[in-house]
Amino acid sequence: MAQRAAKNKKENQYFAMKLAGLKSVDNAHDDSVWAVTWVPATANRPPLLLTGSLDETVRLWRSDDLVLERTNTGHCLGVASVAAHPLGSIAASSSLDSFVRVFDVDSNATVATLEAPPSEVWQMRFDPKGAFLAVAGGGSASVKIWDTTTWELFVTLSIPRPEGSKPTDKSGSKKFVLSVAWSPDGKRLACGSMDGTISVFDVLRAKFLHHLEGHFMPVRSLVYSPYDPRLLFSASDDGNVHMYDAEGKALIGTMSGHSSWVLCVDVSPDGGAIATGSSDRTVRLWDLNMRASVQTMGNHTDQVWGVAFRPPGGTDVRNGRLASVSDDKSISLYDYS
Amino acid sequence: MASVYIPVQNSEEEVRVSLDQLPRDASDILDILKAEQAPLDLWLIIAREYFKQGKVDQFRQILEEGSSPEIDEYYADVRYERIAILNALGAYYSYLGKIETKQREKEEHFILATQYYNKASRIDMHEPSTWVGKGQLLLAKGEVEQASAAFKIVLDGDRDNVPALLGQACVEFNRGRYSDSLELYKRALQVYPDCPAPVRLGIGLCRYKLGQFEKAQQAFERVLQLDPENVEALVALAIMDLRTNGAAGIRTGMVKMQRAFEIYPYCAMALNYLANHFFFTGQHFLVEQLTETALAVTNHGPTKSHSYYNLARSYHSKGDYDKAGVFYMASVKEVNKPHEFVFPYYGLGQVQLKLGDFRSALSNFEKVLELYPDNCETLKALGHIYVHLGQTDKGQEFIRKATKIDPRDAQAFLELGELLILSDTGAALDTFKTARTLFKKGGQAVPIELLNNIGVLQFERGEFELAQQTFKEALGDGIWLSFTNKENKPSVDAATSTLQFKDMQLFHDLERNGHHVEVPWDKVTVLFNLARLLEQLNESGTASILYRLILFKYPDYVDAYLRLAAIAKARNNILLSIELVNDALKVNDKCPNALSMLGELELKNDDWVKAKETLRAASDATDGKDSYATLSLGNWNYFAAVRNEKRNPKLEATHLEKAKELYTRVLIQHSANLYAANGAGVALAEKGHFDVSKDIFTQVQEAASGSVFVQMPDVWINLAHVYFAQGSFSLAVKMYQNCLRKFYHNTDSQILLYLARTHYEAEQWQDCIKTLLRAIHLAPSNYTLRFDAGVAMQKFSASTLQKAKRTADEVRTTVAELQNAVRIFSQLSAASNLHIHGFDEKKIDTHVGYCNHLLSAAKVHLEAAEHEEQQVRHTQELARQVELAEAKRRKAEEDSKFQLERRKQEEELRRVQQQEEHFKRVREQWKSSSHSRRRERSDDEEGGASEKRKRKSGKKRKKDKHSKSHYDTEETEGYMVDEQEIADGDADLYDREPQMNNDAEENAQDLLAAAGLEDSDAEDEMAAPSSSIARRRQALSESDDDEPLMRQSSPIRENSTDMQLESDGEIGDRDKTNGDNAGEED
Repeated sequence: MAQRAAKNKKENQYFAMKLAGLKSVDNAHDDSVWAVTWVPATANRPPLLLTGSLDETVRLWRSDDLVLERTNTGHCLGVASVAAHPLGSIAASSSLDSFVRVFDVDSNATVATLEAPPSEVWQMRFDPKGAFLAVAGGGSASVKIWDTTTWELFVTLSIPRPEGSKPTDKSGSKKFVLSVAWSPDGKRLACGSMDGTISVFDVLRAKFLHHLEGHFMPVRSLVYSPYDPRLLFSASDDGNVHMYDAEGKALIGTMSGHSSWVLCVDVSPDGGAIATGSSDRTVRLWDLNMRASVQTMGNHTDQVWGVAFRPPGGTDVRNGRLASVSDDKSISLYDYS
Repeated sequence: MASVYIPVQNSEEEVRVSLDQLPRDASDILDILKAEQAPLDLWLIIAREYFKQGKVDQFRQILEEGSSPEIDEYYADVRYERIAILNALGAYYSYLGKIETKQREKEEHFILATQYYNKASRIDMHEPSTWVGKGQLLLAKGEVEQASAAFKIVLDGDRDNVPALLGQACVEFNRGRYSDSLELYKRALQVYPDCPAPVRLGIGLCRYKLGQFEKAQQAFERVLQLDPENVEALVALAIMDLRTNGAAGIRTGMVKMQRAFEIYPYCAMALNYLANHFFFTGQHFLVEQLTETALAVTNHGPTKSHSYYNLARSYHSKGDYDKAGVFYMASVKEVNKPHEFVFPYYGLGQVQLKLGDFRSALSNFEKVLELYPDNCETLKALGHIYVHLGQTDKGQEFIRKATKIDPRDAQAFLELGELLILSDTGAALDTFKTARTLFKKGGQAVPIELLNNIGVLQFERGEFELAQQTFKEALGDGIWLSFTNKENKPSVDAATSTLQFKDMQLFHDLERNGHHVEVPWDKVTVLFNLARLLEQLNESGTASILYRLILFKYPDYVDAYLRLAAIAKARNNILLSIELVNDALKVNDKCPNALSMLGELELKNDDWVKAKETLRAASDATDGKDSYATLSLGNWNYFAAVRNEKRNPKLEATHLEKAKELYTRVLIQHSANLYAANGAGVALAEKGHFDVSKDIFTQVQEAASGSVFVQMPDVWINLAHVYFAQGSFSLAVKMYQNCLRKFYHNTDSQILLYLARTHYEAEQWQDCIKTLLRAIHLAPSNYTLRFDAGVAMQKFSASTLQKAKRTADEVRTTVAELQNAVRIFSQLSAASNLHIHGFDEKKIDTHVGYCNHLLSAAKVHLEAAEHEEQQVRHTQELARQVELAEAKRRKAEEDSKFQLERRKQEEELRRVQQQEEHFKRVREQWKSSSHSRRRERSDDEEGGASEKRKRKSGKKRKKDKHSKSHYDTEETEGYMVDEQEIADGDADLYDREPQMNNDAEENAQDLLAAAGLEDSDAEDEMAAPSSSIARRRQALSESDDDEPLMRQSSPIRENSTDMQLESDGEIGDRDKTNGDNAGEED
């Protein structure tokens, strides 16, 4: 893995990375678009873009023209998160009413409806092998792991209370869990909370490992590097993106540049760049070697709630793609090279 | 060899005395002279010879013997020789008197000389040479008119008497009538072409004075031909050489001057010029020695003045202003009129300026200006003084004049720019840029302060890229490059320590690795400003490193601590922030900025009592003159007034009154303070004077929008609150939305809540729900928002059901919303906790119960609606069937064969129809009854609810307002702080420029006052100070401000959540009553 990273580094020195706008769909939804992910390609179709919105619908789009494939209804209150199974056959969407709907991507048949009251549902992610679905549980201070074969609750990973705090503490000693991320090997799971701490779990042993500190404002998005199972990126309302060594509990780097909350972060499939979306209405591309912002896209007119790099695989997907969604109801697609 | 022969008395023999072998003891000669009764002219010749050989004592001995009474007796008839001897002695003593510097001895010499001349006169009244001698004596004594009279007597007798001509020429020269003097010299020369060098010297001096330099030079050169050691001629020529101002001229001039000095080391003029020269070559020791000698050897006023001037200049350049001032003063005293020698006035003015004696400096510079009305330096100096004296306009006028006279004087532009900063930043920036161009054109290094000022101005104008370039130019090369340059980043792993705000390890490591970690003192301010700018550009990591770099080298730099604290605060790391502020307080425990910030942080930490103490301390530290501290206290009181749910009306009134008083106090000090005005508006609104407060808010908003630097979202919110309170919902909505978009990137859930409330009151349920959902999405852990959303859904459903006409779809939506509401409430009851969220399960259960009730009612409605729909469909179907049947019947009719059958059918049909009609009637009856029932119920509900609502809404509004205004004021304060800080930063800038120090302080004050008007957005966003660059400069040091802002706003938020809870509670109550009503109906 280290070799590969080194190779990437080399490449980055030769080619300046950049984003080029390909296509933008205004009014892609009837209201703010809050969630986006790519559904990996299957044998019979290319990858699809999956978006969720305050208008209570989930929509599927075919790239690169962003043609609307289908609109899924059935959610109440806004759709806050969407996730796609690594095999591309099934996907999950969740809304503010804390229901998770798992559905067949191609047929829109409901596979399962998940809820674990009183736990809420915020960000969801399938693990890299597709065996589990992790769901950030909000005020329950836990992450629920669902088995994707039986759709039974597999385990609940709870963040331990800090010692010495009383349950009646006005500050609310409970961590409100907003975001989750799987390490590329599927062994670790990180979750980010409202108070800015990030908790790391050993999934197989269902054990809390440690906290990563550095943020003091909500961490709304987390992502592991695809090549380095220790390297974790976090996006926070403090306007910064942090790089952590998630195993060594160390903050490796800070990238600042957004002028408001950083709402989302995703890492490019080559591991050389990350993209972030922010309340300052911009999408930024960051070169991880330089640890600096190399490009700022200003095509959205409101907060950018989601960014997603298209995963590699399938046919005709030689080119990198990045999608972003925003409160301005639009979806944008960029070429990443 | 020349010899004299003394005839031996009574014989033909003579004693031969060789003149170059005169005996050392004059007595020997005297004995001979006396013994042989030698003629007196021999005495004179021998005495003169002694004099020529420098044997003055012998000379005097012989002459004194020769003028003794016994000689007088003996030679009573030899009149001329006796006179000559007396005159020689008179001339000798005149000369002694002339060169003697000690007043008493001088007088004695002159008295002796006068005695000899008088004696000579007694021998012969008309002897011209006596008169000439007397004239010379009078000249030496400075009695020019009497001298002139003496010479005239001679000249009347013999108009070609050369000595008298020369004396008269000298008189005329001293009178300043150089051409008359020149005529006399010329005549003397004509009469006696072989006259000695000094005659030509006189001619040269006259010509020099008349401005005929070439002829003067010729004359001086002739003098030197005649007498190569003539000091005066040498000095004169040297001066003329120096006048050419060319390097060669100066060199030859100095050579001559030096020769003159070697020949005669006591010529004051030469000494002065030499001193002057050594002043420019920087050899101050020589300057002092020479001028002291010069002062010792002359009594001549202008020359002494010059000497004092040289001495003063030497001390001045060494920085010894006190001594310099004394000598300038002495120099000025020697000068009668400024136009004779104006330099010491200028020097004195400079020294007085340095020593802070502006009035005296002013009068001295004005004297200089009278003589040189276009002298730029003087104009600039006067400009400075006027600025120091507070007459800024006059100061500006002078400096502007200076720039007009010399449009290439970068320094003047620099100063003008500094003055303009106060009044017109745009013009100031232009002026600074001109100065920069001039410096560059002149090949000079651009002063760091200038670049810094330009940078700050650009910063204030929002030209961040330009500002960054400028700061980097000002900083030049240095260790900081390894932190600011992106390319170098990998070499220094700076990022790792970004969050360790107090970590200096990085710099130690760098030093260990052989890097030279050095920050020149004159670049600290620039570095700070650059860091501030980086904060503005959201590069807070790099900014933090730069601040730490400053602290690493200058641990007393309080502002850097405060900015670091501000960054920590922006990241919500309150504890670290407090720690950093405490570090700052360790450096200076009276620093008002640090205290204010600490107060804000404590507020944020919910430490009310402590915060109040700290804010008080901040206010005390500035004698109550710091508007920010006063404003903070005002805000504290305001918060205290509206803080508690269960308010004590008395306490509330006291706090409010106190708050208003504090705001008003600030307004009195700084009538343009927007924040204070805002606060006053809030206090008024709190008391219900909405119209007045609306006016205030509107004015503040207008003033704030006049400048790009001022960002006052508070006033927008307050205005919206007032609109809301007055029922102008759509205006309030617009105002909230604009504020949210303009200032918060749409991220503020609190304002969204205000917005939702407005929608709620305006009964725009869907907008209200959507707005709340957005707020929940932004602030997921705020359960109050969910509760509110549930209430809104419930309300929406209830109101839909109350509608007289509605479609089945509407009802279905209603049911869905009710189900959502039930879900939300039940989730809440599971997840929330009274202590944390302020609502308990009971309340929620009531809501759930009511919703369920509504749901069941809605189900009935739904069934009814669906039934109705079905009926309609059914009727249509029937009609169609009937039609079909009729068609069939027609067919049947046509078919006579089946008439009977048809009749049977008809009967049957009729019967069916009857049955149907009956059914219909029944149904209609049932329907109408259910309708009315429904309507009744809803009326009841509505009535009760709306009444309640009305009552409650009044309260609610008030509360909302409170919370909003709190919020606003807090923010405002934050801004203020920023400005202040900026001002401080500016002040620093100015400090670097010694002349501007005082100004800077004043500026800072003005800036503060202006701050209200000119806050920079950048700072706020950065959560940092400095904006001002002063104000403008301010931008740079804003961090503190920002931090306080943050602090402030956070307590506000808490308050507002409290408020919300309250309002939620109210809604809950209201709902409950609704529920009750519904229950009763049931």
